Amino acid sequence: MKAWHPLVDRLLLAAVIALALLMLAPLLWAVALSLKSNAELTVDTYSVLHGPYTLQNYQHVLLGSSVLRWVANSLLVSLAMTAGVLVLSSLAGYGFARVNFPGRNLLFVLVLCGLAVPEQAVLLARHRLFTEWGLHNTFQGLVFPGLSMSFGVFLMTQYFRAIPTTLDEAAAIDHASRFKVFWRVLLPLTWPAQATLGIFTFLGAWNDYWWPLVTATDQRMYTLTVGIASTQNNFAETMGLGYLMAQAVLASLPILLVYLFFQRFIVRAVQDLAAK
Amino acid sequence: MRPSATAARILLACVLASGLAGCSPSQADNEIVVQRFFGLCEAQYGGNTDVAAANGECGIMTSLINKFAAENPDLKVRVNTVPWPGYDQLASQIVTNNVPDVVTMHLSVIADFQSRGLLEPMDEGLRAVGVESTDFTDVSLKGVTKQGRTFGMPYDTWAPLWHINLNYFRQAGLMQDGKPVLPTSPEELLEQARRFKKKTGKPYFVQILSNERQMFARNLYTYLMQQNASFFADPERIHLQSAEARRVTNLFKSIYVEDLTTKNQDYGAALNAFLNGAGGVYLGGTWLISDFDLESSKPDRPLSGGYTVVMYPQLYPGRDAVFADGHAWVMPVKKRTSAQRRGVFRFLEFLAEHNGEWARTGHLPATKAAIGSAAFQALPYRSNIAKLGAIGTPLPAAVRRQFVVNDIVGEESGAAIMGQKSIDDALVNAELRVESLMKNLP
Repeated sequence: MKAWHPLVDRLLLAAVIALALLMLAPLLWAVALSLKSNAELTVDTYSVLHGPYTLQNYQHVLLGSSVLRWVANSLLVSLAMTAGVLVLSSLAGYGFARVNFPGRNLLFVLVLCGLAVPEQAVLLARHRLFTEWGLHNTFQGLVFPGLSMSFGVFLMTQYFRAIPTTLDEAAAIDHASRFKVFWRVLLPLTWPAQATLGIFTFLGAWNDYWWPLVTATDQRMYTLTVGIASTQNNFAETMGLGYLMAQAVLASLPILLVYLFFQRFIVRAVQDLAAK
Repeated sequence: MRPSATAARILLACVLASGLAGCSPSQADNEIVVQRFFGLCEAQYGGNTDVAAANGECGIMTSLINKFAAENPDLKVRVNTVPWPGYDQLASQIVTNNVPDVVTMHLSVIADFQSRGLLEPMDEGLRAVGVESTDFTDVSLKGVTKQGRTFGMPYDTWAPLWHINLNYFRQAGLMQDGKPVLPTSPEELLEQARRFKKKTGKPYFVQILSNERQMFARNLYTYLMQQNASFFADPERIHLQSAEARRVTNLFKSIYVEDLTTKNQDYGAALNAFLNGAGGVYLGGTWLISDFDLESSKPDRPLSGGYTVVMYPQLYPGRDAVFADGHAWVMPVKKRTSAQRRGVFRFLEFLAEHNGEWARTGHLPATKAAIGSAAFQALPYRSNIAKLGAIGTPLPAAVRRQFVVNDIVGEESGAAIMGQKSIDDALVNAELRVESLMKNLP
């Protein structure tokens, strides 16, 4: 392949750096705001560009607010939803890919139809259903809706289909049961798909706002997104901007850790999704 | 690569934990649930019961509730703070039969819930604890009274105001006897604004024009009211294709076109701009008075020793009026124990008694006693806005979904003012969109 002219290379690099800075700017701005006093920010938000800086907002968040409780709620909900989606999608994906049963294709099409239905379209029906079941203001109420993930079933089905059936046959010759074939032979091969699905489910659950807003109406059950929204003091939060940003920064830490630890999986996940 | 057994165990533990932790929180017999907006400020005021030491909506409200809880140990008070304005959550709670006992609600929203039978009339309960309807100002009482009954205890009235930088007014020669010279007609407004700009080099107005709808609607309503325009004669239909509406929109469009206002600023930016001397008049609510007053007490600032606030000047010879809304406490329909019911009204009685404290937020108190008190009169600039209790005018109580209506009207009005569509198109669109909204309401 013909090498690019060095000048073009440099220009591209400069463009990439400029775009990266552009992307980072709001994040850095949020961190900087969190280090300024609220009174100073009310008068002039550009005061972030110079000192004095303070950790008082963080002190307020950590010592006297409900943020940690909401972080715990969000963690529990996100992890439970991720676990549930992985288990259910893997089992369903295996079923659709490997088990012949009457109506399989029709059922699979129905599952795929779920991809085309936006959450808002089923919100009222789901809300009524959860009311009947008494699930509002419970962790189950926050977790259950996320478990029926059509995309997860579709992804896992495609993955299982791509694995040669000769592996199943070889295991069967060794007298492995169907579950053993699934658990010991096939499931480990789907690890990249599990990582993809797990990461996106976790991020989706962590950032979800709309459903938690209407199901977790008790302050003690708020997830982080709803909790932070409830702390806003006045319109546009002009009087407590630093405090709000400190909460936002702390709230982003778990998700930042997910990105740091699973960086290579996330990159691969995106590539895999594009390939699918 | 195989999934880590530890990770699998953690995930499984979470599933189990979410199941075990799934019990919905319940309410004790002597517990009342107070649901409010105004934000959370636990770090500063979480345990504070000294109301006089608190500041801002959140601080004062938190301290008031703390004080009530401390003085009523037989009653358990649970506060549920909702993201502003909290009506989606309240609707959800009503459907799920998980209703709070007493809730903050804008006067303009009460009709939405009351018309569906979701709010309790409170006349008898309030009277029983000595709170009479005659205790409240006309404007606030009008907001909670539906079909002759009281569906809320009003707590304040708020309205858009003119916050003025007197230092610039002085520079522009717009001061007389220590008071700002205010326009009495649209022509005078334009003339004074041009003069202001010429003398100071600054735009006359500092306005929130980006990411904003409500302010446009409030301006339009106020100046329609001043012209005696009956734009909501039928609560299901807004009438904006009128000479009056064109006149107001045209006035604000001229201000925009002639650069007599700051542009492209959202709420925070416009607030910052006014504090830093970007213009002469900031169009904003009652809740900003304390902050601007504090700023004017600081040395070497654009507002130093030169701030005042007035109600919207009367530009048209119809009537003295300004659009107003307010906050109230309502009781959603719910089965309550007698202890809870007594607790709610004790709480409301306490709040009514301390209505004057709330005045420090800048809002006009809803009780006449609070407005007439020496403490209120001693607060800066409050005498300038006391008339609000008499001339403040909400939209007719029968108009439903007023928040959404304001959004529609504001969006169309803003589009016309900023030249994105013609004034006639915008006013027609506003009418059609409001009509469509009303038609689709259950």
